[in-house]
Amino acid sequence: MTGRGKLIAVIGDEDTCTGFLLGGIGELNKNRKPNFLVVEKDTSITEIEETFKSFLARSDIGIILINQFIAEMIRHAIDAHMQSIPAVLEIPSKEHPYDASKDSILRRAKGMFSAEDFR
Amino acid sequence: MTEMRADQHLRLDEQLLLFMDQLEALEEKRQKLNSLIEEGWFSIAKTRYSMGNKQVSALQYASEMEPLVHVEASLLEGGTAEFKCERRKNKTEELKNNTVEDIGAKETGLRRRINTKQKGVKEEEEETDPQVKTTAESSTPEHREPLKWFGILVPQSLKQAQSAFKEVITLSAEIASLQSEILATRKEMQAQVKEKQEKTKTQPEIKEE
Repeated sequence: MTGRGKLIAVIGDEDTCTGFLLGGIGELNKNRKPNFLVVEKDTSITEIEETFKSFLARSDIGIILINQFIAEMIRHAIDAHMQSIPAVLEIPSKEHPYDASKDSILRRAKGMFSAEDFR
Repeated sequence: MTEMRADQHLRLDEQLLLFMDQLEALEEKRQKLNSLIEEGWFSIAKTRYSMGNKQVSALQYASEMEPLVHVEASLLEGGTAEFKCERRKNKTEELKNNTVEDIGAKETGLRRRINTKQKGVKEEEEETDPQVKTTAESSTPEHREPLKWFGILVPQSLKQAQSAFKEVITLSAEIASLQSEILATRKEMQAQVKEKQEKTKTQPEIKEE
């Protein structure tokens, strides 16, 4: 199964979104909803979660980039996402450096290793 | 039976080593991504310092945007997803390559400093000749180049930010592929461990018989 020409979505603070839009990932037109969300201080968690779920539902989005501190707010929604596409990538923000122990993917990969497994 | 168990252990060991290698590669790419992003933010901050706080914000975003980079997502056997970044070539520069020869004689004051065919994406070209600009705009809308949202002459720091984030985007696709591989390896290992445990449980039963 191949999906060509998928978009990269971003959910992040203003600087993160500005940076990635400068990189050329942004899509905004009257026909479709934008593939980015600028999260500000007054952005509600409901809005973030709804946007995240809408990105998951879209078939034209391949990767979702999300600041880790925002991912923490909707951790339950991210943990519930088990499919390979779209991939969810947690990125640091200016005030919150990347913490591998909070990353959903790495937590899933860590799993439960015990001495029994390797006997 | 002993040979089968040995094979199983060997496979499990190989999977574990692969898992560790993948985690190491992920860690390396993550660090690079983090440092590139920080570089990008720093450049944006420098731009803000020189242009003004309100000149570099979400208010400057265009009302219409077209994505210049896409990601090719493919689902491989075993459920692993592979992502490849594809950046659209700037049509504007190709047009410029064609039109420069035509209007070269008509140019009045501005000298064209840039060698068109050899170089890559050139935002500066759009700043020079208004004649060429109009020709380009009729076929390539202005909102394609994000740098232009922030003004005609943008500081070098903003271009540095753009190039840092372009690299981040490419790296993100690689990290997404690696993450998917890691999860697949982990799943495979869990399956093998379970198989091994089941075989260990049945073996005492066989001995009793």
